[in-house]
Formats: sequence, C-alpha cells, structure tokens
Amino acid sequence: MNDKVIVIGGGVAGMTAAGALADLGMEVLLLEKDTRTGGHVKNWDRLFPSRRPGREVMDFVGKSMGSDVEQRCNVIVNSIIRSDDGFSVQLENSEPVTAKSLVIATGYELFDAHKKEEYGYGIYDNVITSAELENIFMEGKKLTTHDGKTPARIAIIHCVGSRDEKVGNLYCSKVCCVTGVKQAIEIREMLPGCEVTSFYMDLRMYDRNFEELYYEAQQKWGVNFIRGRLSECAENPDHSLVLKTEDTLTGRPLKLTVDMVVLLVGFVPGAETRRIAQMVGLQSGADGFLLSADEHILDNSTTVPGVFLAGAVKGPACIVNTIADARATALQVKTFLSSQNAV
Amino acid sequence: MKIDGKRNIWKDYQKEIAADRYFYVRSCVRQNFFPGSEKTFLRIMKDELHKDVFENAAHTTCSGIGYHSDVVPFETAMTMVARQFSIMTESGYENFTTSCITSFGLYSEILETWHHFPEVEERIRQHLLKATGRTFNKPANLSHASDVIFKFRKEIAANGKYKLINKNTGKPLRIVEHIGCHYSRMFPGKGIGGAEYPYVLVGMIEEWGGEVIDYPERRHCCGFGFRQYLVQANRGYSIASTKKKFDSMAPYKPDFILTNCPGCPMFLDRWQYALSEMEGITYGENGHGIPVLTYEELAGIILGYDPWDIGLQVHQVPVEPLLDKIGIPYDTPRKFLTMDGKMMGQPNAPSNLKFYQHE
Amino acid sequence: MGKLYDKLAEDVRFIEGLKACLNCGTCTAICPAAEFYNYQPRQIVDILQTRNDEEIEALMKSETIWYCGECMSCVTRCPRGNAPGLLITVLRSVSQELGFFVESEKGRQQLAIKRTVGEWILKYGYCLYPSEILPQMHPEQGPIWEWEHENMDEVMHRLGANYKKTGPGILRKIPQEDLDEVQRIFDETGATERYRKIEEFSRIKAGEMGINLEPGLDNDYIRHIYTANEKDHTKDA
Repeated sequence: MNDKVIVIGGGVAGMTAAGALADLGMEVLLLEKDTRTGGHVKNWDRLFPSRRPGREVMDFVGKSMGSDVEQRCNVIVNSIIRSDDGFSVQLENSEPVTAKSLVIATGYELFDAHKKEEYGYGIYDNVITSAELENIFMEGKKLTTHDGKTPARIAIIHCVGSRDEKVGNLYCSKVCCVTGVKQAIEIREMLPGCEVTSFYMDLRMYDRNFEELYYEAQQKWGVNFIRGRLSECAENPDHSLVLKTEDTLTGRPLKLTVDMVVLLVGFVPGAETRRIAQMVGLQSGADGFLLSADEHILDNSTTVPGVFLAGAVKGPACIVNTIADARATALQVKTFLSSQNAV
Repeated sequence: MKIDGKRNIWKDYQKEIAADRYFYVRSCVRQNFFPGSEKTFLRIMKDELHKDVFENAAHTTCSGIGYHSDVVPFETAMTMVARQFSIMTESGYENFTTSCITSFGLYSEILETWHHFPEVEERIRQHLLKATGRTFNKPANLSHASDVIFKFRKEIAANGKYKLINKNTGKPLRIVEHIGCHYSRMFPGKGIGGAEYPYVLVGMIEEWGGEVIDYPERRHCCGFGFRQYLVQANRGYSIASTKKKFDSMAPYKPDFILTNCPGCPMFLDRWQYALSEMEGITYGENGHGIPVLTYEELAGIILGYDPWDIGLQVHQVPVEPLLDKIGIPYDTPRKFLTMDGKMMGQPNAPSNLKFYQHE
Repeated sequence: MGKLYDKLAEDVRFIEGLKACLNCGTCTAICPAAEFYNYQPRQIVDILQTRNDEEIEALMKSETIWYCGECMSCVTRCPRGNAPGLLITVLRSVSQELGFFVESEKGRQQLAIKRTVGEWILKYGYCLYPSEILPQMHPEQGPIWEWEHENMDEVMHRLGANYKKTGPGILRKIPQEDLDEVQRIFDETGATERYRKIEEFSRIKAGEMGINLEPGLDNDYIRHIYTANEKDHTKDA
C-alpha cells in the first residue's frame, strides 16, 4: 500500500513537491483553492534572470506530476484533525480526505499596495504594480498610460511593502530587486523611447547572473538607477505623477515628473497560510511566515511530526530555490514515512 | 484620480470624538490673528448645537510655540500640559478640545510619551505638585476643535443658509484644503483620515456642497517652521514653502483655501500679500488673491452669520469675492467700524493685491 | 560610547527618535528645509548613529541643526520608525544647555526668541501677544495688521475678544496667580535655568563679537541676530 500524502497548495512549490513525491512512490493528493493550479507563476510572463518564459517552467512542473497525482481545484480546507494514523483534512462540500503526511505549500500573497498610502495606488490612475505590469506583458498588450498615451518616462519603485516598519513588514522580499531590473529592461525593450528610472535602497543581486543582469540594464538598456526610496507620489493636472525622493548618493532632494509608476510589491504571508498553519498548530516567525524545525538543517520539516513545508510559506523565495526546496521536502517526507513504516 | 481609493483609506482612520461637555483651551495664534474664529466656534457650539463647551480662565498657553522654537524644554512643556489637565480635572471635565493644532500635536505627543514611559508621567506629576500643589487626570478624550465641527457637519448643514456653490455657474466651489502638520503627521491614527489623505476638512467641504481639489503640493507644510518665522532672518524658508504651494495649486483655480491649524491661514493669507509686494505676483482672479478661511469662519458663513462678526475684515487677502460667489451679502461701510458703530480709520490698501474698503 | 551621545540618549525623545537609519532618504525627500537650505535630515541621523562625540559636537555647533522647521513630515515617512524632527529638538536642547548654540549664526538667534516668545509666556501667559507683534518687526503682516495695531482695543472688542479683561475669553488678562504658577513650573522644570543659560552664553558671545547687548530688544546684538544672514545657508557646500 502506498503511503498517502496530501499537498495543500498547487503553486510551483506544491506541484513540484507532488511530482517528486509521486516519483518516490507515494500516493499524492494535491488540493488547490483556486480554479486552476499554477499559483503566482502562471501569471508571470518571463522569469529572471534569463527572461525565459514562465510558461516553460509551468509546463515542466505540471508534467512532472503526470497522471500519478490526483489534483483537486476549488477546494476549501475547513479543519485538520491529527491522530495516531495521520491526518484527516475536512473539506467544504466534500468528504474528508486522509493522509499519513501533509505538505503545506500554500505560498504567499503580494503586498496590497493600497496600504502604502503615500504612493497613491488605487487613487492616481497611472500607478500600477509589478504584477499588473507583468500581466500587460503576458497578454501582449501595449504599455500605455491610463488615457492611452505612450509613456515617455516610467519610474520603478523598489521595496514597496518590504523593509518598512510603517506597513508592518520589516523583512526584505528578496526577489523584487531583480524583478525590477528585469522589468526595467523589458520596458526599455518594448518602448525604446521611454526613459526608465529605478529608485532603490539596495540592489539585491544575490544569485547567479543577477549582477550581470544589472550591468546589462545599465550598459545595454540605459536604465537609470537612483539610490533613494520613494517618499511621496502626487498627481499633476494631466495625470502625470510627481515623485519626491532623495538621491542619497549625491545628497540632493529630487523631484521628478513621470508618466507612470511601477511599484515592486513584496511578499506577505498569505491569509490561507495563516489559516492552515493554525489548524495544524504551526508557529510563525515575527515576520508572519511559518517556522520550520530548523532553518539550517531541518528547513523542510516542522515541530509537528508529519507536517512539512515547501516554498514561500517560509518566506520570500525565488522559483529556483522553491523548486529545489520542494524536491527536498519530498525527500524528507519519504524519509519520515519510511521510518514510520519501519516501526 | 479615483476618489474611492481615498474613501477606502478614510474608513481605516476613524477616531472617537466626544459628543458633549468639552473643556476648551484657546490658541495663541488664533487669538492674535483671527480671534473672530474662536468666537464663532463657541457661538456655533452653544447656539446651534446646544453643547456644553467650558473655558476656565485660569488656563494658559500650552507653550507649544516656545517648545517648538526650542526655548522651552520638554520637561516644562509637559508640566504646562499637566497643569492644563489639572484645570480640566478641577473644572469637572474629561473631554479636552484644543483650538490650536500645534497644541493638539503636543498634547498627543505627551500623552503617547507618558503611555510608553510611565516613569516620565510620574516625574511630571511630581513637578506639578511641587510647583503648584496641583494633581490631574488625563483626558478621557482628546480632540481638536476641527474634529468637533467635523463631527457635527451634518447638523451645521441642516441649520445652514448657504451652500458652497457658485451662484453664477451653479457649480460647486473648488476648494483647496490644508491640514496643519501637527494634526496627524506624528500619529496618523489620531487624525480623521490619517496623514496622507486627511478627511477632517474634506468631510466638511463635501457636506456643505463644495468640491475638493487635490494638487501635488497639498501635503507640503505651509512653512511656519516656528523659529523659521519668528526670526526675521529665517523668513525666507517660510515664504518659500508657502509660495511652493500657491504655484502648485494655481493651475487648479481654487475659489478658496480651507485650513484647520491657526498658524496656516495666517501664513497663507499674509505671504500672498508679501509676494504681491516683493514680486508683483498675485494668485486667484484679477489680483484678488486666493481667500483663506478657517473652518470656524466657513461654518459661520454656511450658517449665515454676519461676515464682520465672524472676523473676515481682518484678512489681508479679501474674502469679498468669495462671498459674492456664494451670494452672501456684506456691508462694506460697516467693515471697519467699532462694536458701537464708530469709525476707526481703515487699513491702507496694498500696492498689488486688491482690497475692499469704504470709499 | 561617547559622552555627548549618552547625554542625548537621556532624553526620551532621543530613544523614540533614533532606531537605526538605513539612509533611504525618504525624510530628506519630503523635508521643506531640505528644499530650501543646504540640509538633509538623513545626514543628521547618520551622524548621530556613529555615536562619535567629535562629530556630534561639531553638529551642535553648526548651522545645520537650526534649519529644521519641526513640521514632522519626516516622521510620517521613515520606514525604520526614526524621527529626525524629534532628534533635532534634542540636539537643540543640549546645544543650548552646553552653550554650543552661540557658535552658529542661526543658533545665536535663540536669544531673540527667548526675549520675545519666551518672555511673553511668563508675562502674559500667551506665546504671542498683539501689542508685542510690532509692525516694524513684521512688515509681512501687512497694512491690515498696522491698522489693527493702531486700533487694537477696538478691533478686539469688535471681534468678540475679552482683551485685557478678567474672566474667560479671547486674550483675557490671565490672573497673576496663574502666571505665578507658570513661573514656578518654569523654575521647577528647568526652563528658568535654560533661559538663564541662553542669556549668559549670549552675553559672553556678544562680548567676543564686540556687539553691544543690553536688556530688551532695542540693542545692537538683538538687532544683529534677528536679521543677520551673513553665511550662505542655501548654497551647496
């Protein structure tokens, strides 16, 4: 009899873990709350640093589940009961499902940019988020201002909702910097006549080929980088936007008029993650993301035997790390179940 | 611009404002420059709203201007504030409302400080007891007088005789609202609507029929700057800040500016005069400047009070064009008369800014 | 740790105001003083967090700390929860306590503020008083104020004030027993001592500068500090 594992969350982490678990011989049920699997990556046009299509990764991960993983969408988890046999997951409008082990892969949400009030998101027409920009790329739409004009100047704002005590998120969301550099290049590519200025505090080019992407953005694409966090965004009569920052490297306050602003919104712990975590008694860190059993050596397990974590439930993560993490989680689950069966 | 975006934020910043039995403390700047406003506030509270607003003659300045120009130490300012609370307590009140915004900010800052550092509160209690023999309770509710007028804006509208409509065009008047820095910058939660899109004056304007204008420098300080105004050598800072605002709002052609801090209308009014003298610039229409009103004055106008009772005659930028737009009558020959109808001369007219006086 | 830094850290506003600065610049971006003067509040916080006594002493003797208008726009924006505006108040406080303020042109102005607003609080119970706001020291108040000044009693009466009279009301005469309480508060909490220091350090400085200083406002030193703009406060260094 195959050991049954339930993976809660059908994004990149959940799908990868499910596929890897199936390869390792488990019987896997993947539960997803939305109408489709794919999480956030299905909405992402091209991935850093190489700007390869996100679709390619999605297809691979999808195929890796094959027909061995039972996938259920539109699922709402109401509660989880733990017993000596394992876990019974109570579903809305369905019979409960049981498993020997759970993988929590419910991911993250994007920071709600409305909360950063002084940036005017939801108030000024030409302020959009990085996710909305990515959607424009994905749908092959033209990048225009709200009233249909081609923008001559676009500002990209880093650290929106991250590293910010005022909105309650002290942490860095890790991937927004390289996303910003990528999107700056993509805007310049799409609109060669458009000036792009990125306002950053630090440029977190932490992984392979990131620093080279930053270099390319400057040298090949002429993206401007100003070290200063956006302090305020206001609107002119013609709906262009007035930005107030300081160029901290030269020590001068700066006022700049642009046609559009792109906010690089960070990660926040998802509401679903918090909900599910509570059901199984998982702890969160001060940052609101879930705690693993040990950040260095047991980062895929938790303090609750049989419950494992994969992906951005633990904090901001890129796709490369998430896929590696999810595969590691599968291995940890296998090891756990083997030791259980040996008893 | 999506106004709904602002409405969502406004609902996150609601605040408890007492409904009656206010202990009222006055504003140094307001009493000096637009005293008619404080008179009008009390008239509205008593005659229109039938509220109990009590003033104890023993109260003094909170010392806010002295504190923010750094001659009065924080320890002293806290004890002065403690004394004000003591007078409130002995008068039998617990709802504290201030005429001045700097005061409101100072009282808020001090209450927060005592909350986070109880040993400081204890020390101040000792100072007050030793210096004056007084003890005090902290207020149950702290509000600014503009919060109170905001709270009763519908009742004022109901009793109102005028709306903020241009009688010639039938359209709502276009109004710039300006919030005092010390209202909600330090503690956004203590201001109605928060710090970025404050609602306290917007709510009044909406209720009374006007249209609110947003403009890029809306949030910019008027430039009082305390020591930046008090000392002549520093006044460039003050006038430059105000000019920045006027240059930014001018393209939107506002009919007037509404303020809630006592200092701001004085600066927005007087710096228009100074700019007209120094550079020949006037904002507004035909050299009239943009009239600047206090919220008390605006409420008084809505209720149909005599403009010279409200105190509009002591504005340097003429308010008459605005009164004409609304259709409010005023008696120019009586503008500069004493209480018992005698002449006391008239101010000279400025060189470039229009002025209304009896010929 | 530096002695000056420790002294600053005795003030609760310092504890509230200085967490840790990452030099993001949102404070300077929004600061009215940074638009006008050669000034960046970020720089102030940056210097303070070095805890270096020499730099902090230089700061307290400089023009820099006197440029702030205490509007607190910086507090609204800082993502680390710092408050440059509050730190400025502490620096100004200690600068006056230690006599550093007289080393800068803007710092020397404190005597003018003490002898006007500072003394009016004790004399009248108000920070400002109509008969003291002289049109010649405030030409920007306009002809309207000149006229008010000439006719103050009547104007105040017309506007519903209780000017100089007893009982509640606008610009009432605050009873002497209440002014006495204020004086005792000033004595007890260090304001009287602060006033004394402002006077004393200014007296010494006026002597060094060779400018005549007498009581009141009608003397060369007061006129000098009230109007002097001999340094280039708005030029980039």
